[in-house]
Amino acid sequence: MRDNLNTTRRTIIKFGVLLVAVVAFYFLVSTLCTSLYTMMVVDIALIYSLIAYSVSVLLGMGGELSFAGVSFMGGGAFLLANLTTGRLGPTLSPVVSFLLIIPVFIVIAFIIGLILLRLKGTFFTFATIGLVQMTFAIYNNYKPLFGGADGIAGIPTTEIFGTKLMNYNDWFPVLLILAVVVGLIVERIRTTPMGRSLAACRDNETAARVLGVNVYMTKVLAFTIAGVLSAMAGGLYAMLTKFVSADMFTYASSTKYIIMAMLGGVQSTVGAFLGAFIVQVLPQILSAFEGFLQLFWGIAIVLLMVFMPEGLAGIVKSLGRKFRAKNKKKVAAAAAAATEEGVK
Amino acid sequence: MAENRTPILRLDKICKSFGGVVTAKDVTFCVYPGEIKGLIGPNGAGKTTMMNMISGIYTADSGDVYFNEKKITDKPDYARARMGIGRTFQTPRFLQRSSVRDNLMIGADLGNKIGYLSGFFGRKSTNFYQELKEMMDILHFSFNWDDDINSLPFGQRKLLEIVRSLLSHPKVILVDEPAAGLNNKEIEYLMDILRMAAKKMNIGVLVIEHSMDMIMDLCETIAVLNFGELIADGTPAEISNNTAVIEAYLGREDDD
Ligand SMILES: Nc1ncnc2c1ncn2[C@@H]1O[C@H](COP(=O)(O)OP(=O)(O)OP(=O)(O)O)[C@@H](O)[C@H]1O
Ligand SMILES: [Mg+2]
Repeated sequence: MRDNLNTTRRTIIKFGVLLVAVVAFYFLVSTLCTSLYTMMVVDIALIYSLIAYSVSVLLGMGGELSFAGVSFMGGGAFLLANLTTGRLGPTLSPVVSFLLIIPVFIVIAFIIGLILLRLKGTFFTFATIGLVQMTFAIYNNYKPLFGGADGIAGIPTTEIFGTKLMNYNDWFPVLLILAVVVGLIVERIRTTPMGRSLAACRDNETAARVLGVNVYMTKVLAFTIAGVLSAMAGGLYAMLTKFVSADMFTYASSTKYIIMAMLGGVQSTVGAFLGAFIVQVLPQILSAFEGFLQLFWGIAIVLLMVFMPEGLAGIVKSLGRKFRAKNKKKVAAAAAAATEEGVK
Repeated sequence: MAENRTPILRLDKICKSFGGVVTAKDVTFCVYPGEIKGLIGPNGAGKTTMMNMISGIYTADSGDVYFNEKKITDKPDYARARMGIGRTFQTPRFLQRSSVRDNLMIGADLGNKIGYLSGFFGRKSTNFYQELKEMMDILHFSFNWDDDINSLPFGQRKLLEIVRSLLSHPKVILVDEPAAGLNNKEIEYLMDILRMAAKKMNIGVLVIEHSMDMIMDLCETIAVLNFGELIADGTPAEISNNTAVIEAYLGREDDD
């Protein structure tokens, strides 16, 4: 049980691998994406990864399926649009507005979570669908705050530490760092008491309770974290595209975020990140087959759920396990051979 | 024998029925710190239901549960667990698709008594690895941290559920049929760890078990339930000579 040492060593290795992967990803994208358009696709995928993480927290760790991501995404986007264009009175800078999203949506998501999580399982999920319909209707029709069908345009250019993020190229490193940092936070949650408590709620509520887990509150907390992540994604989207309108926050688009997380693997943070990329980038590569894309996602999801409910990350994991098992056998066989020789 | 001490757990006239089925009728007994107490009775006597009412999974129809002489009848299950009421189940309940490490850590989380936020920043207060090593020495088996919990044999999983609970530093532990599915060697180690819990950790142990040999060997006192009624409560010697107990067991066997 020299586990303490091993864990530190493994953490260092993990961070090393992550750093190399992020740098490699950065240079790969920088060289491959030569047009602003392709860069925009990548930037949006990075923003979507936050929503995929939110699904991973609530569904992967907590076992609760929520469609409400788009409601919070819309909320974050519209809050930022209102604050930066001075529609509510004072005009704030995009960065300040973005930072305001966090406390505001901690409160809002917490309250909504308190209400919706009174319901169990499927009933909860249905209630979140109801929430999405409600928020869409409000975003789409209430002009003073949400601009109605025209949306809100004219969000000013974001400036961080005196540097203006003029185009999609400028945004890329910022969003990449954000996606990685938030991913690390989510991964950290997964391996600390909160993540384990959520997993216990997911797998066996009774066991969770006798282990001192307040199941209801833990789920409300997860819902809050998911809501804030989605709202942050919405704010970033508004900052990046400088335009927000209600038609981005429909039930149909909410299914897209669930698919991202399912495809990548809801149990895995890296999986959620990759899922966001695949669902966002693949349509651009396969644009010739656009009509068939829905069919493709449909088949991919069904196949994955039947054969690998843990998504692409699950495939990698089980391959790794097989490889380790083989190795173990080899080592065992070698050890057996060695002892046999010793006996002789 | 221990009556002059404060009981860590006291049941006072607990009643419970499901529809017409009476599973507890004015049940009153105590568990003392450091004591191993058996809870026995024929199938369906209401033993598991009694444990569920102590952990707060079920609420009693009437009567009260006291923990360290503090009334906890109205406290929710998770609050009782945090006070120090540990529990294992007839069939072990673990996190699925999770490693042995995560499954044991969640016990330590409860023992650490820290919130999610301080947990996020890595605060720990129990000596997890040291404690675990001592328990695994008693249980005589080892495992790989990263193994899936379901890759372990049933008997080991049952023993690990007790370990998980002990890692949470309970004051009382409720153990439901721990020997079912264990081989003879494992049963020996099981008794060793329960004795360690009582003697070294001063935990009150309440154990349900059908194996009479084990109960007689392990317990200082035994409570007997039959159709929800407490028909006897005493030392193993008293219980094995009690006519009501003998009748309950023999009578039931005729029915089967
Ligand atoms: N949730 C419930 N709803 C309805 N009836 C229940 C419920 N839980 C237990 N019972 C009934 O209460 C009675 C006692 O059950 P319990 O599980 O407590 O028995 P037990 O003494 O643990 O038996 P065993 O030795 O078989 O585990 C049984 O008749 C059972 O059917
Ligand atoms: Mg039972």
